Amino acid sequence: MLVDLAGGWSPMLGRLAWSQIPYDNPILAPLFVAVVIGAILVLGLITYYGKWTYLWKEWLTTVDHKKLGVMYILIGLVMLFRGFIDGLMIRTQQAWGVGSHSSGVFGALHGYLTPFHFGQVYSAHGVIMILLAATPLLVGFMNIIVPIQIGARDMAYPYLNALGLWITAAAGALIMISLFVGDFAHNGWFGYAPIFELQYSPGVGVDYWIWTMELVALGTTLGGINILATIIKMRAPGMTWGRLPIFVWATLSANVIALTSFPALQVALALVAADRYLGAHFFTAGLGGNLMLYTNLFWIWGHPEVYFVILPAFGMMSEIFPTFSEKPLFGYITMVLASMAIAGVSWLVWLHHFFTMGAGPYVNSAFSVATMLVGIPTGVKVFNWAFTMYRGRLTFNAAMLWAIGALFLLLIGGLTGMMLAVPAINYMVHNSVFVVAHFHSMLLTIVYAIFASVIYWFPKVFGFKLDEFWAKTMFWLFSAGTALVFVPMYMLGFMGMTRRLDYVFNTVWHPYLLVMEFGIAVYMLSVLAFFALLYVSIRDHAKNQVGADAWGTSRSLEWLTHSPVPFYNFAVLPHISARDEVAWRRDNGIDHVQPDHYEDIHMPNNTGVAIILGGLTFVLGFALVWRIWWLCALTLLAIIALVIYRSFKGDPGYIITAAELEKMEKEAMRREAQVGKQRRQAGSGVLGEAIAYERSDLPPLVSRPSSPVGLDHRS
Amino acid sequence: MSSHASNVDPKTAELWDKSHYQHDVISTRTFGYFMYLLSDGMLFATLFAAYGVLSYQHSYFGGPTPAEFVKPWYTFAQTMALFFSVLTYGLGMNALKHKNKSGLINGLIAAFVLGVLFLALDIHDMMHLASLGITVATSGGVSAFIVLTQVHAAHIFFGLIWILVMMAQVLSKGFTTDVVGRLLTLRMFWHLQAIIWVFVYVFVYLWGYMS
Amino acid sequence: MQVKWRNTLKNGWRYAALAPILLLNGCAGNPYWIFDPKGLMADTNLFYLLVDVGIMGTIVGLTALLVVWFMWRYQKGKNRGKYDPAWSHSNTIEVVVWGIPIIAVGFLSYFAVTGTFEINPYNPTIITNHLKPASDPVEVDVIATDWQWLFVYPQYHMAVANELVLPAHTPVFFRLTSTAVTTTFFIPQLVGMIDVMPGMRTKNALESNNTGEYQGIASDYAGAGTSWMTFKTKMLSASDFGQWVQRVQQSPASMTYTSFNNYADPYINVHHKVAYFSSVQDGLFDHVIDEVMNGKTWPIPPMMTENMVAYMQKQNAEHRD
Repeated sequence: MLVDLAGGWSPMLGRLAWSQIPYDNPILAPLFVAVVIGAILVLGLITYYGKWTYLWKEWLTTVDHKKLGVMYILIGLVMLFRGFIDGLMIRTQQAWGVGSHSSGVFGALHGYLTPFHFGQVYSAHGVIMILLAATPLLVGFMNIIVPIQIGARDMAYPYLNALGLWITAAAGALIMISLFVGDFAHNGWFGYAPIFELQYSPGVGVDYWIWTMELVALGTTLGGINILATIIKMRAPGMTWGRLPIFVWATLSANVIALTSFPALQVALALVAADRYLGAHFFTAGLGGNLMLYTNLFWIWGHPEVYFVILPAFGMMSEIFPTFSEKPLFGYITMVLASMAIAGVSWLVWLHHFFTMGAGPYVNSAFSVATMLVGIPTGVKVFNWAFTMYRGRLTFNAAMLWAIGALFLLLIGGLTGMMLAVPAINYMVHNSVFVVAHFHSMLLTIVYAIFASVIYWFPKVFGFKLDEFWAKTMFWLFSAGTALVFVPMYMLGFMGMTRRLDYVFNTVWHPYLLVMEFGIAVYMLSVLAFFALLYVSIRDHAKNQVGADAWGTSRSLEWLTHSPVPFYNFAVLPHISARDEVAWRRDNGIDHVQPDHYEDIHMPNNTGVAIILGGLTFVLGFALVWRIWWLCALTLLAIIALVIYRSFKGDPGYIITAAELEKMEKEAMRREAQVGKQRRQAGSGVLGEAIAYERSDLPPLVSRPSSPVGLDHRS
Repeated sequence: MSSHASNVDPKTAELWDKSHYQHDVISTRTFGYFMYLLSDGMLFATLFAAYGVLSYQHSYFGGPTPAEFVKPWYTFAQTMALFFSVLTYGLGMNALKHKNKSGLINGLIAAFVLGVLFLALDIHDMMHLASLGITVATSGGVSAFIVLTQVHAAHIFFGLIWILVMMAQVLSKGFTTDVVGRLLTLRMFWHLQAIIWVFVYVFVYLWGYMS
Repeated sequence: MQVKWRNTLKNGWRYAALAPILLLNGCAGNPYWIFDPKGLMADTNLFYLLVDVGIMGTIVGLTALLVVWFMWRYQKGKNRGKYDPAWSHSNTIEVVVWGIPIIAVGFLSYFAVTGTFEINPYNPTIITNHLKPASDPVEVDVIATDWQWLFVYPQYHMAVANELVLPAHTPVFFRLTSTAVTTTFFIPQLVGMIDVMPGMRTKNALESNNTGEYQGIASDYAGAGTSWMTFKTKMLSASDFGQWVQRVQQSPASMTYTSFNNYADPYINVHHKVAYFSSVQDGLFDHVIDEVMNGKTWPIPPMMTENMVAYMQKQNAEHRD
């Protein structure tokens, strides 16, 4: 029943063998040593400072949506960095291996990467950036912000939330370990049939690709269910659909897409696995297989996925523009309709990813027109953001700069997207670097929105602002990098340069490739600026503390509760009376009215089950990649047993009594009063400070909170 | 018109919830589970699409087609087993309404036994096909046939484990919120698998037999 | 009338596009292949590109200016524009912001559909509607292997590897297939991309009135040798083409079903070797498709190009031709 393998296989270790460890690779071997040293250092530091218990109790076993969100974002940032390094390697190879006279090292004829490695690098770059950087970053923000914005204490299913995180982490670990054990797929992030079949990709690379993507798909589906149920079932009293913050609407539309489209990916990849493991003929060229079926199934998910990542980014922009324009969002209802329209149309356009496959002109025309329809709601969104600024009072701080950057990139991406939607143009640029430049414009729109959100919501989660100077420095460096890399890339597209060339045969393209290499160096500087941003901000955190309404002009519900958000979010659930509740309370001078009495609240307990399940999932993925069948069976059994165990144990949760709650609330209010006072003494002209911190009825803070960075949580 | 305009008078507005607002645990859980079933339905829809694409004459590549190896009456027996399993589960849930623990357990046992019968028939059928040399590697069309039917069988297998777990929980814990919630979600799951089986039976077995 | 309008548009754009290129490359010719079409198909593509960029560029450009103007006018503390904290709705503006994209998309849809039919690779009306009665189209069967191109000329019973030679002023119709994996056939200055898939047959067509040499590319990733899987396309005058055909027909090598099996084994064409085959067994193209559909594959050895230098030594040692 199982296929015969070209290489060796043993019952004990499957395909695993010493020869699969690339200890003689001049790039990977030193990297491996560095990673090991780094890991020992980190683990050593944790042990030295005795933080293991803290880590386990406060983070690894948490079911708090904010902490899970923070961990999602951390995973996303780490993977973003890894993906960036992949990008750097791609750019360097293409800047080096140009023309038949270019030199080659490390076994490559030209440049420093052989085709075998170059294919893996760009495939990993794509998978990581889309599924393990953009997706976790966005899911992280949805996790943190959505429950607070709708006035809930947590997600609908806190335990499931933790499970989603740890499965995503397992996927990240799986793709990372493919660096050092075996190899990764070379068939691009979306895969081609039949190159991923065993005859043409005999290694384990494609298997790593399959199971990484399957795990992300599983994690994201679980997350999508959770977020949808949270939005639909957990809204605070008074939070009607018409009052829902716009980011929640964006999240809702995005997760409707996730829930309905990810199964298509799961099936497409499972069928690839059936071909590779069982010798089935779903996507083979011969014996009744249909390789075009794969492309269709993949993009039936793949295109909605594009909107799954862009819609939350639109939502973020729709939150940030009003705050720093000091005005409500223009055309709220239109924005909601536009989001839903994009989600709907996203299902009707998948074929535009392969106009060149030879479908008839009627089919191509239909999908071309459907694709252009997406331009309508997207265009409306851009106009609405513009009119949000109209008659506003604009502050160009770092968050706003990033959001505006996103807007301009969206314009460029939209223009080129409308070009690609026309088959007559598409035929010329379909597999060229023009397409690469186009979707990087779109994905960088998301990255810009994410960095805008990092700056915008950071004070809400951690209680202090990020450093403005470094945030702006990073913005300008990042933007310079974007221009230097992607303007030449668009030009190269018009020169006919196709994508995924590990050797560039045309020397005319060389100057442009060198400019791009320079651009990637500028990107590197922006990465350094980001580290500086984190360092300086944490160093100066005492100076940059904020109160509930960190920006003074915020509008939606998350700014009503304290910063950092207490683990129970709201001591007493707010009753919602207006669309922009915080702005409404502020405008009516009732934003400081606190609840007059507290009641007991019920909270879920932490659980170690989720992280153990995540670990088992990782082992299962690894065993599947290497075809170690006994380990597959063992982990699968362990997973089932653990799920049943958890089901028997259940979670009664615990009670925070009204008295405890009142004490914690008093402490938080005291801290905020102190923040306001410090601000006034320092005389810093922070936005809206005058109205946000005018509280003289509270005594000054006696002692500083012990850990302002952490999210205090009882264990 | 301001987007945050509100008809509520800020002076008398209720700012904090005083209604002891509670989220309904079972309703939230069944709603979420319903959405999971939606994605499960999408999964099967994708598999059906793949089967549709791979069920042309050339997909079988001259090899055996369902018309040659499907036995409609045999599969009808499977259908009956699954339908009666759902029915007995439903009768058990009716007993739950009357807080009748033994009635519920009897229903679950019957559902379990009939489910096992369904699965045993399916496994026997697969082994029979394998003995004829018809496996997932035979042709694209047969790959789609076997994977679609066996993904459904895998759902049934996990459903059977779940029924066992629920029997144990009913006996050990009684009718707690958690247990009742799980019984409801399991009922939705079991029902959906039967509905999907209708499509499998009609579009894969019967249609394959007749074409 | 329409042709004239098109030419005006295209020439204007060409001069604009040329300006930065002249600065960069002196007189090396236009490196912007997409803006420098030399065939009917590519020409038509450029026309639609200009229409689309013209319309969308105007809208996007004006929107960008609008945003920049708002950013300047409503900056806090500058008091250039009126601040209206409650303003967030206007029916007029809503109609405009929905109206502009709807009209633009409607307009572009018309062009998208007409363009799709004009250069439909299977039946490009831009070529087939203007076939001269006496014209004698050339047929070429394209077989992509890992990683070479074989161009079979069934009318002349001959084949050429890794070089495509065609007569100018003559419609050319391609049938394309692949042995092992999927790739894409692309000659930027002559014709747009079409996928080439194993076990399947796609079609494409081109016609050019310009003699010269143009680059052909395998534009979809097909494995280790993709980057070297390029071919030169030579457009010759009718008489030159006739001479070339004779030259090929005098070459000693021939291609049969059996020799094709060896030819199709993985081979990275690093030195851009061109080979002529004076005779080709009839029906090779259909035979290859049949073979692949019957399950024939040309597997890749594991980790084949992990060390490219070593692999090249091995490939050279095998003296494959």
